[in-house]
Amino acid sequence: MAAHFDTEYQRLEASYSDSPPGEENLLVHIPDGNKSPWHHIENLDLFFQRVYNLHQKNGFTCMLLGEVFELVQLLFVVGFTVFLANCVDYDILFANKFVNHTDSSKVTLPDAFLPVDVCGASIRDNVAVMFVLMISGVFWLHRLIKFIYNVCCYWEIRSFYTNALKMSMAELPYFTWQEVQARIVEIQKEHQICIHKKELTELDIYHRILRFKNYMVAMVNKSLLPVRFRPPLLGESVFYTRGLKYNFELIFFWGPGSLFESEWSLKPQYKRGGNRLELADKLASRILWIGIANLLLCPVVLVWQILYAFFSYTEVIKREPGSLGARCWSLYGRCYLRHFNELDHELMSRLSKGYKASSRYMNCFLSPLLTVVAKNVAFFAGSLLAVLIALTIYDEDVLAVEHVLSSITLLGVCITVCRSFIPDKHLVYCPEQLLRLILAHIHYMPDHWQGNAHRYETRDQFSQLFQYKAVFILEELTSPLVTPFILIFSLRRKSLEIIDFFRNFTVEVVGVGDTCSFAQMDIRQHGHPAWMSEGKTEASIYQQAEDGKTELSLMHFAITNPQWQPPTETTHFISQLKERVQRETTGDRQTLTSLSGSEPRSLIANFLAGPPSLASLHLGRDGSLTDHGPVGVNDGASALRSLSVSSTRGSCSSAHRSAGHASSASRAMPGSSTDARTASSGSSVWEGQLTSLVLSEYASTEMSIHALYIHELHKQQSGGELSRHTWHRQDSDDSSDSVTEEGGSGGGNPNPRNLIPRSHTFPISTPISTPGPIPSSNSGPNPDRGTTPGQEVTPLQSNSQRRYGGNTDSVGPGGRVVRSARVPMGGWAEEGRGGRHPDTVPEEGSEDDMPPNTHKVT
Amino acid sequence: MNCRSEALEVSVEGRQVDEAMLALLHTILLHRSTGKFHYKKEGTYSIGTVGTQDIDCDFIDFSFVRVSSDELDRAIRKAVGEFKDAMGNGMDGMGQISLEFYQKKKSRWPFSDECIPWEVWSIKVNVVNLANEQERQICREKVGEKLGEKVINIVEVINRHEYLPKMPTQSEVDNVFDTSLKDVQPYLYKITFQITDTLGTSVSTTMRRLIKDTLAL
Repeated sequence: MAAHFDTEYQRLEASYSDSPPGEENLLVHIPDGNKSPWHHIENLDLFFQRVYNLHQKNGFTCMLLGEVFELVQLLFVVGFTVFLANCVDYDILFANKFVNHTDSSKVTLPDAFLPVDVCGASIRDNVAVMFVLMISGVFWLHRLIKFIYNVCCYWEIRSFYTNALKMSMAELPYFTWQEVQARIVEIQKEHQICIHKKELTELDIYHRILRFKNYMVAMVNKSLLPVRFRPPLLGESVFYTRGLKYNFELIFFWGPGSLFESEWSLKPQYKRGGNRLELADKLASRILWIGIANLLLCPVVLVWQILYAFFSYTEVIKREPGSLGARCWSLYGRCYLRHFNELDHELMSRLSKGYKASSRYMNCFLSPLLTVVAKNVAFFAGSLLAVLIALTIYDEDVLAVEHVLSSITLLGVCITVCRSFIPDKHLVYCPEQLLRLILAHIHYMPDHWQGNAHRYETRDQFSQLFQYKAVFILEELTSPLVTPFILIFSLRRKSLEIIDFFRNFTVEVVGVGDTCSFAQMDIRQHGHPAWMSEGKTEASIYQQAEDGKTELSLMHFAITNPQWQPPTETTHFISQLKERVQRETTGDRQTLTSLSGSEPRSLIANFLAGPPSLASLHLGRDGSLTDHGPVGVNDGASALRSLSVSSTRGSCSSAHRSAGHASSASRAMPGSSTDARTASSGSSVWEGQLTSLVLSEYASTEMSIHALYIHELHKQQSGGELSRHTWHRQDSDDSSDSVTEEGGSGGGNPNPRNLIPRSHTFPISTPISTPGPIPSSNSGPNPDRGTTPGQEVTPLQSNSQRRYGGNTDSVGPGGRVVRSARVPMGGWAEEGRGGRHPDTVPEEGSEDDMPPNTHKVT
Repeated sequence: MNCRSEALEVSVEGRQVDEAMLALLHTILLHRSTGKFHYKKEGTYSIGTVGTQDIDCDFIDFSFVRVSSDELDRAIRKAVGEFKDAMGNGMDGMGQISLEFYQKKKSRWPFSDECIPWEVWSIKVNVVNLANEQERQICREKVGEKLGEKVINIVEVINRHEYLPKMPTQSEVDNVFDTSLKDVQPYLYKITFQITDTLGTSVSTTMRRLIKDTLAL
């Protein structure tokens, strides 16, 4: 051994010994110098976050201005409140006291102000005011220091943008984040921002920006955080406010003694299972202390919240009183609906797209009782108001009568409120379809919503995600009071689970540090067998992400970052899914096409689902993408054209919406079909623009389709939730039964919610690789459209029926036929259903082994 | 985070601690030192020579090569000596000594210069107590072998083609290299140690982080 080392070292020595300490004929080196200051950045997490923030805030100047105004606003809020409270003589304003002016009898505003020394004294004497002033002073100073610090930091980032990324601040708002990201990946090769790797991937950047958010999403997904409560009287409710979120983050991620020792690494003792109990105790006591601190600071925070809410919302309420009745996505909803590795702007755009449909959905549930009351109140208030207004018009002195102006205002508000309870006469609501439309954007929903869209329970649960603005403000206001108790009584009890969570679900990734393992989006580790990853996942129930989060997140990430190269297994999953989706949507389009001629009603029903229309659009573009060439586009176009024509008859609001899409697309189609060769032209069909924004638009549509598809498949896999209570189309129920087990192999389904032990009753194990479009049936004449690729016609059109079967009532006969053709499986169906819908029997496993035509009826 | 970290672990007897540490630290530094740079006019430079010498250990069957620079040796001996004192003589214990290579980054006025580490070697030491002379003999050889393996490890790591700070220009040489020694020029380094009892971050770093975090909110 030793000899071996010696030889190595000797050789080195030899090379050194012969270089003389001379001058001229030495080797001369040229330093490469650190021309760029961007190599080897110390805190990449912070760095990327700042790069992202600067991009989101549209550049340095905008951000600077915004922050300056915020500071000024703070000063103003505090100053103005104090002024109103102490320096105004309200007696003069209300004319209870007369001012004796020498020259004129008019009361001016300055008359109402108290002299400076008087009001100064009154402020000094008032302890509470001094208290408020001091708190705000400290707070403001903190903000100021932070602001200065931020300016310095962001100046650095600004020069990173201009020098390294070669993007000037002026044009920054017109770059998408994907472009910025691509440049960062590009310059890593040159500058070595991160020293661990030669190349950065998109996922690395996302991981760093979203490290803690991913943890939060995962914790909400695994229902670890105590945000659901059952207070008496209120029923099950969700309480998750900014204050609470702040405290959670303080405890887990960055506060003193938190689980993380730096932004990128969990403390080593938390990674070992050995003394978990001890650590849990420690965490529990820390939570207790933080809870107590919260309790002590509660008055301060409360005062602040009230002031803040007052000044930010009063003006809005005055301007449009309806805004309190408007809804917004709750904080919990944002956490629940967020994909792993989804940046803020992606989430927001997705949710905003779903906003309209969501509020329409919520509006379906106006209570008839309230409507009756509201109508009458509005009538009486309206008549009073009309009289008052008429009088005012006649002679404006009416306004000078005491309380006339205020009653006019109040009556106006009253009518506005009442009107919000009165549904629009000309709208027909189809909750099931609306919910599907929502799903296309929000991508997640609990299983039991499907088919129960019209129920109050579903509505209530949805309102947890999508709450009234007023409720939101109210929750924020009560948050300082409630948060300490949640921390002390609920969270503390979970400390052991939390410790276990962080230990089990933290992985160290080279070049990224410790991240949440869910965020790796590894199907094998965290896939859920009921969500497409059957047979691929090795996760235990504890490890499975709920609601198909892993699968959907993976799809979402792959679609939004097409450059990203996932590991091979994942690539396989993605491509397989995409292929399947494409095939299914093709079929769907076929159905639509075939149906459109014969039976408008069914078409509408089918179309109402929203997704099919999107799907066919998608196909139109996808066809061109995958080099089906113009054929695909023409196909899509014709399908769409036919749709848009007949669907206009639909009275359903969602139909209008979809029709709008469809018709615009079909108008654009013919023109572009000539150059429908490239992806960009495919997208140009959509918006008529060749920008990456369009591509992202395209991506979001694609993601919607995938999300719907995955949900649909999940629904079928877990035994087919019925659209039994769809009001408009009772007869369509059957069709939704005609769901199929796809790839029904691979051992029992461990999903605790739908325990369907499929394996033993299902000897047929279907290879997933042949995506199992199972021709259930098809009704309907099939007006053969010449443009269709022939071999796809028969199998695909039929299975699409099944895919979106729940929404097509024309399938009625077909569905029934399927039922009869089904292998009797009553046993497991009952068992699996858990008696929720005891009368429905799910579909047979796979009919891959049968020629599709055998099932074709009529 | 943006730095490589390598961990080594050795179990030695109390009196072997400093020799083992010296051997490992010197081996790493041997590969992370260059000759002095002599800058010339057109932004070029030449590199001086580095002498090496073999050192035999007294308590371990092992010899290692180090840069023959007494100043460097003194600096390292001093650090190791402090480490050993902190461990307490002859008792069982665990400790960790880390050698951190960093570069300085000049920052704008309100901030002090940042020291950004790019490679950290942490050597964990277990001190064992031995009962009799025979065991000591065995340990002597065992530790020698172990150290040999570690040295090979180190060389392997260093041979990997990984990030090193770029060669600086004359004005920046102080940001990358420690130019205070007159015969060699190692990359800027810092030796720190922790004893098991106090493992965990020190108060000052916690405070610093707290302030930074509140600012970064």
